[in-house]
Order: sequence, then C-alpha cells, then structure tokens
Amino acid sequence: MMRYQIHIRSFDRTLVAIDDFQLDAGEITVLLGESGIGKTLIAQAIFGLLDAHEFDISINGKPYRTYLHSGFVRRLQRNGFFVFQEPSTHLNPLMTLQEQLNEGPLAKAANRQEEILRILWQQPYETHIRPLLKVYPKPFRPSGGEKQRILLAMAFKKLALTAGSANRLFVFDEPTGSLDNAYRNIFLRELLRQYAQNPFTILLITHDYSMISQIEKRHSALLPKIHFKELRRFKGPKAQVFNFKANEYTTWLKKQRAAAKGKHAANTQTVLTVEPEFKVFGKTFFLKQGAATGKPVPLVLHRQELIYLKAPSGMGKTTLAKIIAGLQRPQYIRFKLAGFSFSETTDQNVWRKHIWGKKLAMVFQHADEALNLQARVRDIFKGLPNVKFRNDRQISDVLQEVFEWDLPQAFLQQKVAYLSGGQKQRLNLLRALVLHPDLIILDEPLNGLDFASIGKVLDIIRRKMAAGSGILLISHNEEIFERLVSEENCYYLTDKAT
Amino acid sequence: MINIPKRLQNPILRFSAFFTKFRQTAAQKLFRLERRLQGGNRYAAQIYFLFWSGGLLLLWLWDVLFLHAPERHLLEKAFVHSLFIATLVVLFSFAMAWATAYSIEFFTDRQKTIAAGAILFTLNLIRSLPQIVGVLLGYVWITYEIQTGQITSNIAIMLRMSVFLALFIFPEVVALLRERIAYFRQSDFFNAMRVSGISEWRIINYDILWKNSRLHILNKMIAVFSAAIFLQCSVDFIVSVGLSTRISAINLPVTLGSLLANIDSKQDILAIGYALTHPDYLPNLFFRHLQGISVALVIVFTLFSLYKITNALAERFHL
Repeated sequence: MMRYQIHIRSFDRTLVAIDDFQLDAGEITVLLGESGIGKTLIAQAIFGLLDAHEFDISINGKPYRTYLHSGFVRRLQRNGFFVFQEPSTHLNPLMTLQEQLNEGPLAKAANRQEEILRILWQQPYETHIRPLLKVYPKPFRPSGGEKQRILLAMAFKKLALTAGSANRLFVFDEPTGSLDNAYRNIFLRELLRQYAQNPFTILLITHDYSMISQIEKRHSALLPKIHFKELRRFKGPKAQVFNFKANEYTTWLKKQRAAAKGKHAANTQTVLTVEPEFKVFGKTFFLKQGAATGKPVPLVLHRQELIYLKAPSGMGKTTLAKIIAGLQRPQYIRFKLAGFSFSETTDQNVWRKHIWGKKLAMVFQHADEALNLQARVRDIFKGLPNVKFRNDRQISDVLQEVFEWDLPQAFLQQKVAYLSGGQKQRLNLLRALVLHPDLIILDEPLNGLDFASIGKVLDIIRRKMAAGSGILLISHNEEIFERLVSEENCYYLTDKAT
Repeated sequence: MINIPKRLQNPILRFSAFFTKFRQTAAQKLFRLERRLQGGNRYAAQIYFLFWSGGLLLLWLWDVLFLHAPERHLLEKAFVHSLFIATLVVLFSFAMAWATAYSIEFFTDRQKTIAAGAILFTLNLIRSLPQIVGVLLGYVWITYEIQTGQITSNIAIMLRMSVFLALFIFPEVVALLRERIAYFRQSDFFNAMRVSGISEWRIINYDILWKNSRLHILNKMIAVFSAAIFLQCSVDFIVSVGLSTRISAINLPVTLGSLLANIDSKQDILAIGYALTHPDYLPNLFFRHLQGISVALVIVFTLFSLYKITNALAERFHL
C-alpha cells in the first residue's frame, strides 16, 4: 500500500492538503469527486509531474525535490503511465500520431499497436485508423475523442511493455471525458481485461458517476479489487478521502423516476415551440421525438415540463440553445418563446428588452468560462433583474440550497477563481435558477459535480418545474436523465431528414 | 560517550549519510532563496517607485545645497507644472477613452452602425495625425487665445495643454479598453451574464473593466503619464523657437521641457560633451551646470523609472 501526506502551495495560498491518501498496490482506486478539488494535482504530485519551482510541495513531510530524486519515482515513471485529462495538451503538435505512438520505449511494443487500436476504435483499420495516424494533432483535428483514444492506446502499449515489472502505476485522469458512452465502455472493458490478466496499480480519476453502474453491471467479478473513493473538501483547502459505496449511487439511481408533470401539463401554457427544421452554418438540422429516426416534429415545451435534447457530441445542441437564447444568428429558424415569435431576422433588441432574465435564463456548460472569475461570490447575484438581495444573509440562504455546509460569511467574499470546479458549477446554476423565467435552458448542468451536489441540483430543477418553469436540458449524462425524463419528452437533433 | 548507530560506524557510510543530509539541506536552502528572490520580483514595481522618489529627493537635496535659489524655484515650479499637466492628461484621456469605447460598444450592440461608424471615423482621423503635429496645432490655438486675451492664468493654459495632449493620446487608451471588452465578449461569461438579464452597462463597466482590467488600466495610466511628459517636453522644446511675433515659450507656464529649452540649460547640456573630452571638467557639471543637468536628469530619470514600473507590473501580473 502506498500512503501519502501531500501539501501543495502556490505563492499565495494552499492549493490542496491531504493527510492520508492511500493507493492499494496491485488494485484499482477509482477516485471520484467534484472537479477542481485537487484530484489531478494529487495524482501529478505522486507521479512526479509537478514543477518544484512553481509550487511549494511536500510529500510525507519531505520537500518535493527529494521525492523527485528518489528511485521510487523513477521506477513509477519507467514502469507506469499517466493519461492526462486534456488530450490536446498531451500530444505534440509537431509529430504525427504514428510517431507519437512509437515515441521512446513505446516503439518496443510496435507489434501490439494495431491490435490495441482496433480494440479502441472498433472500426476497420485500413480505412479508419491508418489514415488518422498520418495526421499532426491540431486543436480541431483529430477530434477530442480520437485524441483521447490515442492516449489510451499509448497507455495500453506501455502496459504490454511493462508486463511483469514491479511498481506499475497507471494513472488515468478523466480518461473518458471526451468519449461517448459506447467508447467509454470499450475502454473500461479493455482496461479491466488487462488488469484481470496481469494485475497492476490503477488510479482512475473521474467525476462520471455512471462509470460505477457500468462496473457493477459488467465487471462485478473484479469488485473486490476496486476501491471507490471520493475526495471531498469542506472548509479551506484540506481534503479528505472517503470510501464511496458503489451501491449508494446505484440505489439512488434506481429510485429516480421520470419527473411528474404538473396537474395539467398538457393543457398548461406552451413556453417554447421550435419548428422541426432549422439551418445554421450552412447545414440543415431536424428535430425528432422519441427516437433519432422517423419524421421531424416540432419541439413543444410546456410549463412544468422538462425536455431532454439529445444528439451526438458536436451535432449542435448548444448551438440550438444559443439560437433560442438570441446569442447565435441562424440562417433559418422559426420558433415561439413565451408568446413572442422569432426568426433568423429578429433583432437582438427583442431578446434584450423582453426575454433575457425575464422569460429565459440559460446555464452555460463550462462554469469556468460562464462566470467572472475575478468577481467575489456575492457579485454573481448582483444586477439580476427582478431579484433583489437586500443583504448577504439572503444570498447565503440561496447558496445554502446547493452548498452542503453551514456557509461562513467569508465565503461570499471569496474570489470565484479560487473555488473548486464543482463550486463554480453550482454558482453557475444558481445564478439562473434564482430567476423566475418561463424557460430555463440547462447545458450540461451536472458537469463537474459530486454525488451530493447532483442530488441537490436535481431537487432544485424539480422545484423550478413545479413553480412553473419549462426546462430544456442538454446533457451527456444519459444514465441519470433517461430515468428522469420520459421517452416522449426526449427529442433528438439530427442532420438527417429521415 | 556518543552512541553511534552501528550502520554509521563505517566512515564511508557516515560520509555518505552526511553528504546526503548536506545535499538535502543545501537544496532546501537554495529553493527557499530562489523563492525569496522570486517573491522580491513581486514588489519590483514598488521598488522602482521608491527608487524614483528617492532619486528625485536626493537630486532636490543636492540642488538645495548647490543650486541658486531662483533657479531651484524655477526647477521646482517646472516639475510641479509638468506633473500637474501629465496627471490631467491621464484623467482627460481616460475619461474620453471610456466615453468613446462605451459609445462604440453601445451603438454596435444595438446595430446603430452609422453612429458607431461616425465615432470610429473621428477616432481614426485623430489617429491619422502624428501626435506631435496634433499637439502643436493645439498650441497654436492656445497662442491665439493668449494673443486675444481670452486666457491669462497659468491654470487655464495648463488645462488647455492637457486637453490637447489628451486628445492625441486617448485613441491608444480606447484601443486598450476595446481590446479588453472584445476579449471578454468572446468568452461565455459575457453572454451568460446577458442572458441572465444583467445589463451590459454593468457587465462592461464593472465585470470587464473594473474586475478584469483594472491592472491593465493602471499600467496604461502610468504609460500615458510618461507619454504626456515626453510629448510635453518635445513640444515645449519645439515651441521654444517662438509661436508668433508676440508669443513665445516665456508666455506659457514653465515646464520641464521649456526649462530644458532655456539657453542656460542648453549650455549646461553642452558641457556634458565638453566633460567627455576634458575629464578634469567633470566635477563642474555637478556645481556650475546644475540647472540644465538637473532638468535633464529629472526628465530622463522619470521616464526611465516609469518605464521600469510599467514593465514590472506587466511581468508581475502577466499583462
């Protein structure tokens, strides 16, 4: 067992401090928790990837430089691998993917490459994989999912190369963040297959709780070797690891039921109607109900109703949300929102005067970009229309709805930049949810949240619906939302008419 | 008797243990020293400000001891006037720049393209004129007002000088403000706030300019302050040849530039060249030629220090 006491400080503040972080050698640790809480920093510190000049780090009471020069870290790096969460930063833009797959010691496992790539792609090698390997990685090509699979292929090659070595630590930091559920499951299956054949130490960092039910369903034989842990932070930078019971999530999930409609949902006022066809960026898109095939239908959303908009990643769900919110001008669209008719020629002043904050609110998917990071927490709630907070106490009461602890007054003074990713996401949600609009658009509302916060956010969404708002939801978290939304309220966005 | 552990009784092992300990301690000390030095850089702007203030104070003390009182009073007056004008230039140029930048954003947002275009056209027209030429034209206007007796007080003349200097400096500030606004417009945070019903007035002024750009603005203010002093000195030097048959630099309030253009100061500056070829003449520079040397030193030292302050701020805050 590897035990660590880790303290990481930047110049002006402690970033993360944990007194007892354990990794069971030869077993699998799945580290859950909201984003920005310090999971990545801890893993990078253990793997010896942090810059001793940039941070003031101590590991088990010793300076980081001493740790970096120890034979233990050298062995970890020689026999292990670290898959970074942002694939673009891991890849060298001046080398083709093929060259990078065979860089350094990975070249020795060249004979395994094709087999690994075939598994991860599940597509014909000659037509789909080989041409891709000639490409130099750029921000827009290959796709995020392809880059991520290249990194995973590197990890699997290293795994093949180090079979039989001791001290094999493989860190996977959000390895499925850019993959859809099907590819996520393929990766998980292959990883656990390799593990079953020849066990090694795995640290798998994620905030995708649906991975738990996938492991329970498909890989239950390995459950004794898998430790689900959740990193939590309360007041200050001190973090603690708690054992997370897998059945806690799965039981909770089973209890979730499709949102009950209001008394007369079908008869209640229509909030939004979007015609089945719209055009943007030179492409025509269609809306379909219940399934991705069939005839295009108009999207109709009533008060007290939740509609789940689905589509493969990059299809244009967020673009449609932005069109409805008046932030993106399409080439063709017709829709009605809260009694106003809109088309591609509608002046943005209509949204400014009548819609924004009054009839519509939208939660953007990346809290880091959607919030003013230099503002204080209390500033986030300033300037909102029709919502006046007379004092800090009232703001604290609102925050209490999604923040678990008894909030200290100082929290309101804290800079948003210093909050964890999950805390930012909760603020991002609250700013829209304190308003009382007819329509709330939620774009990936569960991004980066921990389990406790997910439950609280879902409760608020239900309350907003009960209070009369209609919700248009976009999320890749299908496992949770498919239980909350009935089939008839699922709409599909596609570029195919039939 | 000291009980040495058995494993350390071997001298080689003892030396190895000592060396490891020494290496670790040295590495830690080096690391702390490095951090302290890096920490020192955080205060580089403040240090340069103290350096500037301290340098000027030393020079003033020297002048108190060795410069004739009337000349020293003139130098003090010139220094205060120049600083006063530069401060006003900063205030005027930022007020004009903010009004212009906000108007352009306001009209562009509301698709009032003619209004936005007219402001941009005027701005580009001002920008197309070299700063020095523009300011000289301003001085012609001031000369006209002095000749016709419309303005007589020094304060009124300095106010006009500041306005004309600001008029030809403020387009740079507009560019900065618009660049900051444009940068944040691209991010989701601008749209996320708009969709929440928060007014663009608040987003632009509070969230973008105040919360996210005040360090950039402060840095620009210092740069504008330096530019104002530099431009003022250049123009004052040019106008020292005379503005009209009746008006010359002596009709204008004394500034560092006009004092430098003064015949005595020019001779003092020429003495530097003489001292280069006749080193034994060097001590005279600090006593006999103090007026011109002091004015030149104040200008150069001020511009140098302000340059270092802006650079230090830019490095410290990654501007």
